[in-house]
Amino acid sequence: MAGTFIESRPWTDDVLEQKGGLGTSAHDVNLNEPLRGWAAFSATFRVMFIEESRKSVEFAKKRQIVLFPLLLTLVTAISTIGLQFLVGDSTAQSSDLDAKTFTWQELRFALHLPLFMFSLGMGTFAFMGRDAILRRSGTKNHLLAAPALQPLPNSMAHFAYFVKDLLFYVLLILTPIISGMALGILMDGFAGIRTPLLWSSLPWTWLAMATTLGQGLALSFLASSLWLRGRPFTIVGPVAIVALGIAIGIGALPSNLLLWGLAAQSSQNGIFIILGLMLSIGIGFVAALLILDDFDVSVVEQGDLLAPTYARLRFLGRGHVRLIVAKEFVDLFRSGAIKKMTVSYAIPLLVLLGMAWLVDFAEAPIPINLLSYAPFLGFFGFNFYSWLTILDSPEFMNGLPLKVPDLIRAKVVVYFLATSWISLIFIVLMAWRLDEWASLPTSIIVMFANSIYIVALTAFLMGLRPNKAIFDASIMIWFWIGTVLPLLGLFLLSFTQGDVSLYGNWWERASQDGLAATSQMYDETMVQQGYMGMITISIMLIFASAVLWKLMDRRWGRSEFSN
Amino acid sequence: MSKASAPLVSAQDMAKKYGDFIALHPLNVEVHSGEFFGVFGPNGAGKSTFIKLLTGQLRPSKGRIEVLGVDAVNDPQKVKANIGIVPESESPPSFLTPAEFLEFVARLRGVDDMLAKVEHWLDWFGLQDKRDTMCKDLSKGQRQKVMLASAFIHKPKLLFLDEPFANLDPIYQRKCREWLLNHVEEGGTIFLCSHVLEMAERMCNRMAIINDGRVLAAGTVKGLKQSSDETLEDVFIRLVGRSIEDVERHEEEGVTHDDSEE
Repeated sequence: MAGTFIESRPWTDDVLEQKGGLGTSAHDVNLNEPLRGWAAFSATFRVMFIEESRKSVEFAKKRQIVLFPLLLTLVTAISTIGLQFLVGDSTAQSSDLDAKTFTWQELRFALHLPLFMFSLGMGTFAFMGRDAILRRSGTKNHLLAAPALQPLPNSMAHFAYFVKDLLFYVLLILTPIISGMALGILMDGFAGIRTPLLWSSLPWTWLAMATTLGQGLALSFLASSLWLRGRPFTIVGPVAIVALGIAIGIGALPSNLLLWGLAAQSSQNGIFIILGLMLSIGIGFVAALLILDDFDVSVVEQGDLLAPTYARLRFLGRGHVRLIVAKEFVDLFRSGAIKKMTVSYAIPLLVLLGMAWLVDFAEAPIPINLLSYAPFLGFFGFNFYSWLTILDSPEFMNGLPLKVPDLIRAKVVVYFLATSWISLIFIVLMAWRLDEWASLPTSIIVMFANSIYIVALTAFLMGLRPNKAIFDASIMIWFWIGTVLPLLGLFLLSFTQGDVSLYGNWWERASQDGLAATSQMYDETMVQQGYMGMITISIMLIFASAVLWKLMDRRWGRSEFSN
Repeated sequence: MSKASAPLVSAQDMAKKYGDFIALHPLNVEVHSGEFFGVFGPNGAGKSTFIKLLTGQLRPSKGRIEVLGVDAVNDPQKVKANIGIVPESESPPSFLTPAEFLEFVARLRGVDDMLAKVEHWLDWFGLQDKRDTMCKDLSKGQRQKVMLASAFIHKPKLLFLDEPFANLDPIYQRKCREWLLNHVEEGGTIFLCSHVLEMAERMCNRMAIINDGRVLAAGTVKGLKQSSDETLEDVFIRLVGRSIEDVERHEEEGVTHDDSEE
């Protein structure tokens, strides 16, 4: 028997000419063919679905995972009953006020747009897959990393993950929403409850929402796959998004192209549904094909970045938070996540800015001004903070003299330092575009107060696991109460600050006539009161952030480091 | 070369480089059927890179690799379908149970009588009482047993093991060792990476010592010893210690290892 042979040679850049095989043999053993196509997909999909359910249940516990769909059903049922006050053809409206209420098309848009934005945020599967590969040597591992060891193409694992997520969200989010609508319709006639929604519209709505969800997940998946392929693919995603936004803003493309599900629901054309779903699955498949079987974890030598970063953060004092902030910044830069996060934070703002350039908001049903934008900037903070929590496994900190609240606070500080300049540039550019320089200082105060508050609230409620907490009903109830109330207050008060007719007297009129309110020109007193109201709410939000900051110790002080 | 004497694994000029860092210098290797071949070296010597290249987990920066007659660079899926791999530090998927993970692996590998084999390996590793526990809630040793079971379940002719016993208790270390030796006797072939020299003496019929991404010495365990009273640890320290001194001296002189060899 020939013996095993091994030898090293010095490195040269010569490449050996490939001639024939190397003469190995399986010695008459019949070789297995790896599973491909449908067989590989079905073997993977089933266990991925089990894995996903367990991941959600693990955080939310059984009772609360049931509560989340129940909460959605309940909220939707209430909204379904409330529809009579929102649409122009209801009994609560008089015919001459149709222009002041929402059309069905506007309501559909309000249903599909947030769903689309949500799915865009959840669909970056290529980044998730890469993270899974990088982390597989840690204590946690996921099926998305299985292709590294098992005979399964990475692209097939990603495609199965995409389809699994689409189905999971349809079951966990869309089906409870449709159930809520059905519940609302069932209550029609009881105790004077009326709803204009019809049974026949439910299947359409369900399918149309699934189409929008699939579209968002697929586009986000494609953008993340392109990004990971490196240049020149990297810039294709951001450029396409901005170009599409502008093209639709100037009317070069029909706005139907933006939301396929909305187009399908509006036209009630089954072909659109089939086409939209097929296109979404097709884009997801192409995105999966772009994923390479690359399990390389590069060995890159780096100069010391921690010490200089720590030195620059002198203003944070000498405590643990300063050191962790420095470490988090090193993670951000070394992982390359700073680029992805900055782009994903800036692109929605660029689209908003582009639209402000191209669209006359005076024609919009709700008059939006600079102060209306300021509160909503804080909402983007949720995604950024979530990303910060998955950069690295914090488990090594369990053995260090640190507490979870130290790390949470550090992440909030990193969020603020990394994004506030983008928000500031956006709000200044928007002031310039809208020519509303007078309200810029107030807008800056409102914007910063909101950003700090929403991230502090997210961090307080969700700790190091915000991606899982969104399926925890009890957390989400508090999150919505904590964000919607102040945001709604600020948003409504912002209407007192511009040249608006309907909302100039919104409080008196709305309290008497609801949405049937008639217009009245605003006066100076109203402007003053609105201004003071916004400043007061902003100060309260900063105060609330400080309280939440203090309460971190009580909520997370005994937790272990784990994400 | 006759088919009977053809190697199972062959690599020619196989090397891995990350930027300017050479993780594995160009290497020629042939592993023949029935061998229990061990690669030993200190931490960071390039052992895991070596095993990942041969098993299609990494693409080489240059060179050719063939395993069981399959080109490992162009068709790594087929290589993975026909070998068993136990990685150094990878855990099974956190949210699957041991039974589910073994079933998943058996399904991907087209194992006949899948459920019976899953039960067999759960029994063999004493995991029946943990069969429905999620892998994240298992101890490190139990997770390692699941990884070993996933590599053994299709009884591959060729096994690649990277520090396979790192977290196992002595009872299962012995049990696995005996199974592996028996597997080799029955015609299996094992490629093992470790820094535990005791494994070389107990199990390997040939071994290589590597450091700094290059082979320092190779041969039978007995052949590597310069005298009868020299232990394998002495051999290891003699080779690796000298190698480290070489690196330090060259660093002080400001020349690289490559330059010195050319």
